[in-house]
This record gives sequence, structure tokens and C-alpha cells, in this order.
Amino acid sequence: MAHQWGMVIDLDRCTGCAACVVACHAENNISTVGEDQAARGRAKHWIRVERYYEGEFPDVRVKFMPVLCQQCDAAPCEPVCPTFASYHTIEGLNGQVYNRCIGTRYCANACPYNVRFFNFYNPEWDKPLNLQLNPDVSVRSVGIMEKCTFCVQRIKASEIQAEAEKRAVKDGEIQPACVQSCSPHAMVFGDLSDPQSEVSRLARSSRGTKLLGELGTQPKVTYLQRESWHGAENA
Amino acid sequence: MSRSNLGLKRCLRVTVFLGMIILVLSLLDRTSPAQDTAPPPQTMTQSSPIFTPAHRTVMDAVREFFGSRQKPVQPIAYTHKVHLANGMQCTDCHVGVDRGPDARIPSVNFCMTCHQVIATDKPEIKKLAAYRARGEDIPWQRVYGFLPSAHVKFNHAPHIRAGVDCAQCHGDMTKQTVAVRMVDHTMGFCVQCHREKNVSVDCVACHY
Amino acid sequence: MERRDFLKISAATGAVAALEGCGNPDHQLIRFVPEEDMLPGLATWKPSICTLCPAGCGMLVRVMQGEAEVVRNGQLGILKMGLPKKLEGNPAHPISHGRLCPRGQAGLQVTYHPDRIKTPLARSGPRGSGQFQEITWDEAMKQLLSHLTALQTSNEQGKIGFLTSPLRGQRKTIVHGFAAALKAAPPIEFAFLASRTIQEANAWSFGSDALPTVDLSHSNYLISFGADFLGTWNSPVAQSVGYGHMRNGRTGQPGKFVQVESRISQTGASADEWIPSQPGMDGVFALSLAHVILSEKLGTAGAAGHAGALIAGWSEGLPDYAPAAVEKQIGVPAATISRIAREAAANAPAVALIGDGPAAHTNGFFNALAVNALNAVLGSVGKPGGIVFSPVWTSQSGKPGAAEGKKDGESSVRTLAEQIHATPDSVKVLLVDGANPVFATPMAWRVREAFEKVPFIASFGSFIDETTVLADLILPDHSPLESWLDDSPESGSTKTVASLAPPAMQPLHNTRSMPDVLLDLAHQLGGPVAAALPWKTYDDALKIAFSSLQKQKGSVSATDADDFWTKVKDQGGWWSAEDKSVSLAAGKIPAAAVKNTAPQFDGSPDQFPFHFLPFASQLCYDGSLAHLPWMQESPDPLSTVMWGTWVEMNPRTAEKLAIKQGDTIEVASQHGSLRAPALIAPGIAPDVIAMPIGQGHTNFTRYASGRGANPISILAPMVESGTGSLAWAATRVKISHISEGKIVMFGASLTDASPELKHR
Repeated sequence: MAHQWGMVIDLDRCTGCAACVVACHAENNISTVGEDQAARGRAKHWIRVERYYEGEFPDVRVKFMPVLCQQCDAAPCEPVCPTFASYHTIEGLNGQVYNRCIGTRYCANACPYNVRFFNFYNPEWDKPLNLQLNPDVSVRSVGIMEKCTFCVQRIKASEIQAEAEKRAVKDGEIQPACVQSCSPHAMVFGDLSDPQSEVSRLARSSRGTKLLGELGTQPKVTYLQRESWHGAENA
Repeated sequence: MSRSNLGLKRCLRVTVFLGMIILVLSLLDRTSPAQDTAPPPQTMTQSSPIFTPAHRTVMDAVREFFGSRQKPVQPIAYTHKVHLANGMQCTDCHVGVDRGPDARIPSVNFCMTCHQVIATDKPEIKKLAAYRARGEDIPWQRVYGFLPSAHVKFNHAPHIRAGVDCAQCHGDMTKQTVAVRMVDHTMGFCVQCHREKNVSVDCVACHY
Repeated sequence: MERRDFLKISAATGAVAALEGCGNPDHQLIRFVPEEDMLPGLATWKPSICTLCPAGCGMLVRVMQGEAEVVRNGQLGILKMGLPKKLEGNPAHPISHGRLCPRGQAGLQVTYHPDRIKTPLARSGPRGSGQFQEITWDEAMKQLLSHLTALQTSNEQGKIGFLTSPLRGQRKTIVHGFAAALKAAPPIEFAFLASRTIQEANAWSFGSDALPTVDLSHSNYLISFGADFLGTWNSPVAQSVGYGHMRNGRTGQPGKFVQVESRISQTGASADEWIPSQPGMDGVFALSLAHVILSEKLGTAGAAGHAGALIAGWSEGLPDYAPAAVEKQIGVPAATISRIAREAAANAPAVALIGDGPAAHTNGFFNALAVNALNAVLGSVGKPGGIVFSPVWTSQSGKPGAAEGKKDGESSVRTLAEQIHATPDSVKVLLVDGANPVFATPMAWRVREAFEKVPFIASFGSFIDETTVLADLILPDHSPLESWLDDSPESGSTKTVASLAPPAMQPLHNTRSMPDVLLDLAHQLGGPVAAALPWKTYDDALKIAFSSLQKQKGSVSATDADDFWTKVKDQGGWWSAEDKSVSLAAGKIPAAAVKNTAPQFDGSPDQFPFHFLPFASQLCYDGSLAHLPWMQESPDPLSTVMWGTWVEMNPRTAEKLAIKQGDTIEVASQHGSLRAPALIAPGIAPDVIAMPIGQGHTNFTRYASGRGANPISILAPMVESGTGSLAWAATRVKISHISEGKIVMFGASLTDASPELKHR
């Protein structure tokens, strides 16, 4: 059976530090757009840290939630694409085939998570910043939609390596850039089709919820909700 | 005026008009390639079946659409035929092809390990020695390779491990002197083989 | 003829001409012979050390072959070389545990920055104009040597100043050794977020002049007084790893985390309980907790040892700190204080931290001592789940370092500036490496004006910043990824850590490693200076220094010296086999027990009604990373602001002053004013105005210059009364509404660009 890649994000551990955001930029050749374009909502962050304030001073609580493409099983972005650039891969990812994309942006419109980003201009790197570009990842050009791929280049590399060594991909062997950077280990990535994998085990947690799951998108990212502390005042 | 005449005139007008558009677009074609790898080889011999704007510049798209290419001009008339006839293997020089995505194109130092003593009087070898003497590497031009706009990530190693012969994708190099592109690496070419061998034809197998 | 073919033919006529001219100019550059043998497309991993903050995380650098335009022997060409593509934490490293923070991830952009200084420069315009001309290394060295030897001959070596960012390891040995042998003034190590007050308090309480290592993974209860320990304070990656474990990484009860501060910080946002308290009252809060613990017999006064005995009234059970008596002062209900104290005592191991703002009041030293005493009575000092002090490796390359133990606070620069203003002749040559005090000190200190009086300034900087722009001569250092690096972090691990890294790449530009330049200078100066620095290169010095570790039990076992050196280089350093913490010596014994002193603030409450709280930016840190485009464009996690700064205020405050989100407001202290957009957020006390440090550079590359405002500039020159450090949280300000403005936020920008954008 094909792998079904999924992720669990433990909001009890997430500190909202944004290491995942920068790691994603570095890994995936995501260009910066500058202040003016950013002001127009054109900054590209395949993963972002959402922050929610609750309550009023002095009883304020904050919640962080890293949001990336949820790699939905019933993805609203896929059926709307007239050129089949957004499609469902065998391993359950919401693929984005850049060559096919003609930039209708229907997918971004359909996506309830706001995780698809359009290239309004050709990406530019002031030389020699371009030397940092990861040769394992395409540089997307103007007119193309882009989004989180679960670091498919890392998935491929691990699969090819495992095949060369005539073994299966080990649980935990594949770490997308965001997962690898996460200091408090809030993110876990793995194969949901393997019930023994850590990600499957955690996804079954009673704390597990899906982001906007009521829309029926069947996301493959599970968020583990925060637990309130229930210790005692007296030993 | 006859109907056909009218048609011809309109046809000419459209021709001139389109030509001018292309010229203007080419002037706007200023974006430098963003990748740090060598500039993309302009070696598409077949035109693209569909026009897609998924290119860094409009001119890139136009070039691919028309199958325009620059023929690589090699700085040294290296002959594959002679080397292979002398019993050398592809992987002797193109190291790494069985380990990773790319095969190495040898540097001047690598060539000179043999040509320090072999055929030193030949004019092409003298060119080689001159590069070394100047402390320069040989500016080999790539013959194969995908345009960045193809968004293709090809990895040699699994193909070699699967027993795909070099000649299957690169032609019979024992007959070639300076390498020319003998096989068109179109998507159809890749997919046909993938289908025959029953391996993945999922888009993200190659496009990411 | 099909339509498509027709179109092709018609367009082709016009296209041909255009296509012919499409050669790529890159082809015309010559290609240098590659110096390393790499396979294309395959990644190798090289160890390195993150130098962007004092935590000292070990990294692995993903290096792949690429083609870079470089200048070699004065000629531009293309070189196939190993290029760092990605930075990850080194999983074997005891501090980073394979992880990195967002700033560490962006270290790549330091190396590849387009505005790096690429070759030695000599000033060609008026000082500060930013006009420089390129010179050769030979000329640069000659110029610097002539200035140094001139002072040598006139016997004025004491007028040579050396100003650096905080130094450790062999880099410190070389810098201090150079200065000592030259008989120059002792080097001054400057950083805005230096934590001197806390270090000194730890020396008093525990006999350890260092920041603590926090063993969060075993803690059951954590009270943090303002410490941004998950963001920027101390060793954030190591602390975040421990925090994750404390929250949900072990069986049983997750630990509780309480944060005390007047504005929700990056760290406070994760707290189970966030308690706003009055600025500067953290020491009283801590002692009130201790009072509850002592009075309810949850702990004994004697158990706190020296750390407790330092505090006036400790042995009597801190009678002045009963919650009911101090709740008004602290601004926290007595019931809450009692509850927190009981919870902490019931959920051992419990630990308290202090950092950032609370230590940057005029009574910061007292606050820190009070928290130390609380830790001591909680029994968390030197214990699992508490704070421990790491054994720091201090071996030198067979030579005693001039001042290995010496640590400077930010006030050292104030002293230097005052000295220059008083006696302009007292510093004739100033060498600057890595520090940018012109940006990171209050205008009231007049550092820029002082430096302008120094006849000759040489900088080893990689970028033109506010300090380097004043230099007469710039001898650019390699970027960290291009350099040999070593480090011996003072906290973050219970092991002794000696990190080491060879260069991860060849230099891109015509730069030289600063320690190598100093060694070269020493050799050329000859005499005692050359004798004091006998190593040919920095890596020679490192090899000799590290050889002393071979016999100790640690992460590397080797057959001989060369084998040991190779293995240490491959592993990214050496660390001890056992977890060990420094055994606590009795700290300093003061003449009298330390009493509470009320925090002083600059500016009267009527005229300047708001406390001004600058805080370290999660992305731009202390401003030294504002030049990286990734740091500018990544949204700040709390405010989501990109490419700029903001002034944070409570909604009630904003309503009272009729300020709307994004409005430009003016913040004025008695010492200056600045303008920035307002950000209205609930997590801040109504009488506090907060502002991130980092932006407001006047001269720091194309990405940071002229962007936002610098809160440090308007700070009052208040000092911490015990240590003399800058009390950067002790300024009061007033604010006024100026106009509608703009603020760039991820997903919700307010721009002044056009009306239709405003209503998007």
C-alpha cells in the first residue's frame, strides 16, 4: 500500500518561535517579496504561525497554531483546477504541478486554509543570495501557484535511499524542514497508513482535532489541543 | 479584390503583428536566471506541445514553444568514441552517476591525470594543457539537461540501479565524437519507459 | 495547416532575431579549477557553530556543489565549490540537540548577503559618509601596522582600544592575548543583551558568574520572571527542547509554566498562567512567594543557604513580604501569590527564572538575588529539574588567556565614551570587531560623538553598520561559515562543551579571518607581541588547545593526537562524557544583607505616564540580524508584523488616546523621541508601552536601513544600582497621535498606499 504522509502538531509543545517558517523558506526556495508586496498580502509563507489572543487584560491567553497545507484527502483546491495542476498524488499529497499551472488562482480561492501562494512577479534574489537556493527544489516563476509540498524532495530522497538499500522507509526517517527545525518537538511527520508509526499513534490521541474539519476536507494534519494544567495546590 | 487576396493580406498583417509582439516581449526579457547552477542548456530540439506561461520569462516560454535552442559549442573537441574504444567506461569520467542525481563532468585536473603523458602532442590535448597552465577549468557546455521551466527533478542513481543502460537515454556514445544530443528527453520519452517498466508515472515522481 | 503551426510560423519571423542574441554573459567568465572534489547533486554535511547569539548551538551545514562568481587574484570567474544550502542543528551537539531557532536558520543569508564587505576598504569621504575605496590586503595591513607601531614608538600603546562582541574560546585568547602583549587597553566586549546583572547575582548567590543552565525537561513547575527563555534569552534552543519535554514528552503530569511580566512576550504566550505585575517588582514578588513557603513550612530558611542569607530578613521568614502586605506594590492579588507559592512547593522540582526586563531595572540586581533565593528555598539549585551551572572549558593553547573570566556588560561602552569625552586623546586607535554600540546604546551616552573623536578606527566588520561606517579602515572578516570557529558556551548543557568547526565553505570574497589577521599583525610587530602569539594560524592555535582534551573522558576517543583532531573536527567539537554541574561555591559575602530598593524610573509619572519596555525581537534579535531578508519578511509570531516595527499598547490605552491600529504615534522620553505605527494588543498592561528592538537602523544594508525606529535610542541613561549595567526598562515615556499610518502585517496590512487597499 502506498504511504499516506501525514503530520501531527502538538499545540501543547509549540512555542510559536517561527523556526519552521524560516526553515521552510531556506529549504523550499521561497522568495521574499519586499515590504510593498508584503503589504498587499503577497508574502509567501508556506507555513505560518497563527496567533490567537483570548480574553482581556489581565486575563489574557495566547494560542499559537502553525498552519501549513493540510494535504486534505478531500481537497477543495483539486477539483477546481482547470488544468489539473492541483491533483492528488498516490501518496496522498495535494500535488502542485508547476508546468501545468496557468495561474487561474481558483485553487487559492477554494482553499479554506489560505495556504496557497501566487507568484505575482518572478522571484528575485539579490546576488549572491541566489547561491543559497536548494537545487532539489524548483524555482517557481511568475504566474504560478505554490504551496507546501510536505518537502516532497526529502520524501523522494528518502524513498530512493531506502530502495537502494532494499528496505522500507523507516518511521521518523523523513523530516520536512519545519519538523527538523522544531526545538520543542511539536511536529511529527510520518506514514498514516502504518498504524504503528508515531504520527499514527499521536493522531489517534484524544486531544487530536482537525483544522476546519467540519468542512469535510479530511486534512492529514492533526492538531493536538492544549491541555490545561490540572495539578494540585497541595502535595 | 479577391477573397484569397484578402486572406493573404490578413495573414501578413497577423504575421507582422505577432512578430512585433515577440520582439517587444524579448526586450522585456531581462530576468537573469535565479538558479546558481550553470545557465540552462538551450537544447530542446522538439517544440513543446502546449504553450504554457509557466516559465521565468515570456521569452523562455516562447523559446520552448518553438523549440529554439543554442547548439553547445565545446571548448575542446573531446571525442567520446576514442575514449570508449580504448576500453574506458562512461562512469570512469562521469563519476557519481550511480550515487546521486547528477553525473560529474570532469574538470581539467581529472583529464590531465591521463593526458599528462598520453597524446600530449595532439592539438586538442595542447588546448587542454593550456587551460591547466592558465589555472582555468574547461568551460564544458552541457548537452543534456532540463530547462528550469520544466520543473523536472531527475535523479540518475535509481535509473542506473534499475539497470537502465546509459545508451538508452544518451544514445550510442561509441559512435560519437563531440557529444550531440541524440535522444530527446521529452516527457513522452520518460513516461513511455516508466510505463513499460511499471514504475510510477505520478506527476510528483519527477515534477516538484 | 493547423492553427498552431500557422501561429508558430508567423511568430517565428519576428522571434528569430530576438533569439539570436540570447547568449548568457555568464559563459564569458573564465572558470577556475575547482579546489575540492565534490559530486554534483549530492549533499555533504559539515559541522559548524551558530554565532548569531551567545547560546552557541552546534550546527550541521548542508553543502552541495554549485557555481559561484568569485574573485581570485584580482580576476572575476566562476568557481565550482561547495555551497551551504541549509543549516540544521547538530543532533550530537549537547546544546542544539539537532534543532535551531529561526535566527539560526537564517545564518545562511549572512554569508550570501549582497551587501557584505567584499574587500578591504579605506575611508575616502568624510567620516560617517559611507564613502570608501577598495584597497588591497597589503595596503590595509600596512596602514594598520603603521598606526600601531607609531603608538608603540611613542609609548602610548595604552591608547589602543579594542571593542568586540562577547568573545569565548580561542578567539578570546587571541584577541585578549594580542591586546595584552601590545600593552593596549583591555578589550571591551559589548552586547546590548549581555545579562551582566544576572551573571553577577549568580556570582553572589551561588559563586558562579554565569547564566544558569535550566533543566526544564525534569521540571514540574516553572515560574519565569520576564525571561524570554523560549525566544531570545540565554540558550533558547536548549531551553525549548527541554520545555517540549516538560510539556508533553514524558509520562505523568506535564509541568506547569507561569510567566510574570507586564507584556506578553514570545515566551509568555505559551504560559499556562500569565501574571502581569508592576514593572520592577519581580524581586518583591519572588520574596513574597518565599515568604509563603517559609511561613507555611513548605521549606526551611536554612535550606536556601548562602543565596537566602544574602537577603535581609531571610532567617526571620521575610516578615516584610507577606502577600497581603505587598499585593498592591506587585499588582498581583495576595491569593494568587499564595496559590502560586503552594503549587510550586507541591510540585517539585520547581524552578524560577529571571531574565530580560526584570533584571534591567535600577533594582535588577536585587530582583535577581531574590529569584535566586526563591530557587534556593525551592531546592532547585544544582538539582535535576532546576538550575545548574555548567562547567566551562577554559583551556588555552598552552598560554594563559589575559582575561578568560572577564565579562563586560553594556555599560563598558558608556565608560569608554565618557573617557573619550573627558580626555579625547585617551584613545588614539580603536579596533572594532562585531559590536555595534552606536546603534545599541542610548543616544544619551553619546557613543557616536565619542567615536568621532577617535583619530583612527579600524573595523573587522562584514557589513557597514552604524559603528563600522565611522571606520577609517575596514579589514573584513570571513563569514562564520567561511571561518574556523570554536566556542565554549557557558550554559545550555550540563556537559562541558568545547565546540569546534572547520570552515564549511571557501571564502566567497576577498576577506580574512580576524584571528588570523591579528596573528599576522603580531608576527609583523615582532618582539613580545609575536612571542605572546606564537601560532602561525588560528587553526594551529585551536589544534594545540584542543589537544589538551584528548586525555579527558568525552565524546571522542582517539588513538593519537592527529586522530583526535580529525574526530573532533568531524563531530563539531568535544563534550564531556558525564553530566556534571559546577559544585557551588559560597558566593560573595556582602557587608550587609541585601535590602529591597524600589525601582527608579526616568521621567515623572504625570508628564511621562507610560513605562517603556523595549524587548528583544524574535527575528531581528538585538538588531544585529535586521539585515537579513528572511528575518524582515517572516512575520513576528505575536504581532505578525513584517518589514518594520511597532509600538504595542493596550486597547484601553489606545481608546483613551483615540489611536487606531497602524496609526503613526510619537513616543517621547526625556532623552529623545521616535515615531512608529501603533499595534493594539490585549497582552500588555495599560500603563506600559512596549517596542521591539531591532529596527531603526540608519546604516545597515539595503534591507534594514531607514526602516522603523530604534527604541534603544530614546532610553534614559539609568543604571542598575548594584552592577552599573544599563537599566533599559527604567524609562518612562509619553505618547501622542501623529497621523494615520501604515503597518505591514501578515494577512491584515494597513497601508497608506491607496484607499482601496485599506479596505481589502
